[in-house]
Amino acid sequence: MCLGIPGRILEIHDDRGLAMGRVDFGGVRREVCLAYVADQVRPGDYVVVHVGFAISRVDEAEAQRTFEALKEMSQLEELEWMREVAERSLAAQEDRAS
Amino acid sequence: MREQPGAPGTLICPAPHPAADRIQLGHGSGGKLSAALLRDRFLPLLGNEVLCQGGDAAVVPAGPGQIAVSTDTFVVQPIEFPGGNIGSLAVHGTLNDVAMMGGRPQYLTAGFILEEGLRFEVLDRVVEAMARSAREAGVQVIAGDTKVVERGKADGLYINTTGVGLIEPEFRPAPDRARPGDQVLLSGPIGRHGMAIMAAREGLAFETEISSDSACLVPLVEALRSAIGDDVRVLRDPTRGGVASALNEIAVASGVGVELEERAIPVPGPVLAACEMLGLDPLYVANEGVLLAIVPAARAAAALAALHSHPLGSRSVFIGRVVAQHRGLVSLSTTIGGSRVVDTLPGDQLPRIC
Amino acid sequence: MKYLSEYRDGEVARGLIQRIRRAATRPWVLMEVCGGQTHTIVRQGLTELLGGAVEMIHGPGCPVCVTPLEQIDKALRLAADSNVIFTSFGDMLRVPGSECDLLQVRARGGQVRVVYSPLDALDLAVKHPDKQVVFFAVGFETTAPANAMAVWRARQLGIRNFSMLVSHVTVPPAMEAILSAPDNRVQGFLAAGHVCTVMGWTEYEPIAERYRVPIIVTGFEPLDILEGMLLAVRQLEEGRHEVENQYLRAVRRQGTPAARELVSRVFRLVDRKWRGIGEIPGSGLALREEFADFDAEYRFGLEAMQVSEPVECRAGDVLKGRLKPVQCPAFGKVCTPEHPLGAPMVSSEGACAAYYNYGRFRGESAEMAAP
Repeated sequence: MCLGIPGRILEIHDDRGLAMGRVDFGGVRREVCLAYVADQVRPGDYVVVHVGFAISRVDEAEAQRTFEALKEMSQLEELEWMREVAERSLAAQEDRAS
Repeated sequence: MREQPGAPGTLICPAPHPAADRIQLGHGSGGKLSAALLRDRFLPLLGNEVLCQGGDAAVVPAGPGQIAVSTDTFVVQPIEFPGGNIGSLAVHGTLNDVAMMGGRPQYLTAGFILEEGLRFEVLDRVVEAMARSAREAGVQVIAGDTKVVERGKADGLYINTTGVGLIEPEFRPAPDRARPGDQVLLSGPIGRHGMAIMAAREGLAFETEISSDSACLVPLVEALRSAIGDDVRVLRDPTRGGVASALNEIAVASGVGVELEERAIPVPGPVLAACEMLGLDPLYVANEGVLLAIVPAARAAAALAALHSHPLGSRSVFIGRVVAQHRGLVSLSTTIGGSRVVDTLPGDQLPRIC
Repeated sequence: MKYLSEYRDGEVARGLIQRIRRAATRPWVLMEVCGGQTHTIVRQGLTELLGGAVEMIHGPGCPVCVTPLEQIDKALRLAADSNVIFTSFGDMLRVPGSECDLLQVRARGGQVRVVYSPLDALDLAVKHPDKQVVFFAVGFETTAPANAMAVWRARQLGIRNFSMLVSHVTVPPAMEAILSAPDNRVQGFLAAGHVCTVMGWTEYEPIAERYRVPIIVTGFEPLDILEGMLLAVRQLEEGRHEVENQYLRAVRRQGTPAARELVSRVFRLVDRKWRGIGEIPGSGLALREEFADFDAEYRFGLEAMQVSEPVECRAGDVLKGRLKPVQCPAFGKVCTPEHPLGAPMVSSEGACAAYYNYGRFRGESAEMAAP
């Protein structure tokens, strides 16, 4: 249902008609069935693997884009938050002054 | 009686024909086969004056004070794994337990339950590893026993070791001595032993370079003792159940809470990857070559330096502290600033699909 | 780990949390229907960090938890058969049946083995031709392609001693059941990212429309969940109710067509009972007629069984999001991970176990603090 982790295809071979691959997960390697993504992948690609099956190819460009966008958003957030804090503190000072 | 192929009518005598390369039931009977096993396989590797004396019990000098005694039985499957075998594990594990209570290991006993059909070459590798591990630790195997059980029992072999160490009065680490304000140190990265074993198991097969961290921790304990003496409040090797279970036991024994920093806990990449694949938490995975030390905050830097001074402890880090809140519970502060309880598990961690 | 660890970045997470807190002008109620997401949320203490901007109700997203008691009891019966090697994913081993669980059957001599993949079970069948190998095919749509392939392969390779005990469930009917309940409080969903990796998200579009709820296809790492929550909150604040994809790196609208195709060739849609919830029409998968040979229920002639659930178990209400685990009178007392009354206390994705293991000493469950 859920436990799918990304791994990099090291090589692809055929096992009696079934497309299989050796996939590397950050230093751990396992045989993975590539039958469902066979036409979309080649060695070097990343796939999402669940119970020994690749269920989709990782869109690396998209992954990069998403992550950059998130990072940027969080940095903006930091700036906005700081601005908010500054505004609040300024408002508090003005309250006290009046 | 059975037919010999290719020569119809020829019968083979069923009288015992020693299969020269493996354990038979006769090796456990106390007769000639047993004596030969002891003489030809065990003594050459493990032998010392005490063991070679024979006799029903070993008589050895002990110190003036107290002794620390620990026993453990090793049933690990597979018998041989990257980083060691059941033999080295049996020595390291028991010596470490003695050392964790402050004992200076002196003697070991070794009881073997061998399965009929176990190949000698496997037994030799196991006993060699035991001998080497004992020698490196400066410990003698002074008593032993061998039994043989029928094929299908004992998964190859089981080993029980008992370790005896001498206690010095001014060095008494114990699980109930942790106090709020103390620091928790970890001597190295976690999860290696458990994942190395799991990688070798049928049904979960994956390839990896993870090898067991099984090692004798006595030199690390010595280094700590020399540096800060009895300020070493608690020592623990987080074996089965991992760091999480060990710290839970200490928290309960000492009546304190423990707070851990997730980002401080070192997990090797391949261990993390293997855990992710199976849905396991590295905090619960067995280790055989790291220790936890709980020391007062004022001595923490000195303790860390002592651990760093030895190759086994070169990657030691602080991973948390002891607190007065949530007594008996261990909590973890996550990398994103949240927190959660790290509880003991009811049984073994099970790989999950979700 | 690439494409995994980055999505645990603490700094980015804190930024997202702040963004959510500022975007929400009122508290919103969201539900995730995926055990893996529940796991991350509770493990990271996300609800607490959100400071009330979002209330997460944990849905019935744990296939282990919702496997009907009848199927568990059939599994136990099969596992006890000395001619059977019973194979299963690990998380099923401690789920209580009417009388015991698979671990106890193993202790009594049953051959029960944990496997990582259904293809490993197939390998076991080849290795042990003198035994019957049965695989406990549990899961949502994510696991169906793997289980379908195991049966397909068994037939292709002529492996006669392999069969599956099937207990598959599908997500969209469960979501509809929750949304159509009169006391429903859920205002938006995080859809299970790996279910959608296989199935795509077209099935959710009519649901979003009919019930006017935003549905965000979401991944499993902290940053994924947080971004999913942010997208849901934004939609709610703006009065929109669309299906949106957060898990862009893995999910496409059409899913993985080859996987969907084999699943529909091997399985058919059936009504299925969800443990604790009851029957949800069209929410299950069963093997098609032509694969009846590989159906363990057929091969072993397993008839309907009498089952009995402990009376105090409120798993159903927890799974439907009506009750928080800590509100259940049995939680932490009669029902603990060591002695679970129901499945959500066993599976590490189950809401009850998640709360017990991770949330015990916090405000929401202060009474569970150490003795």
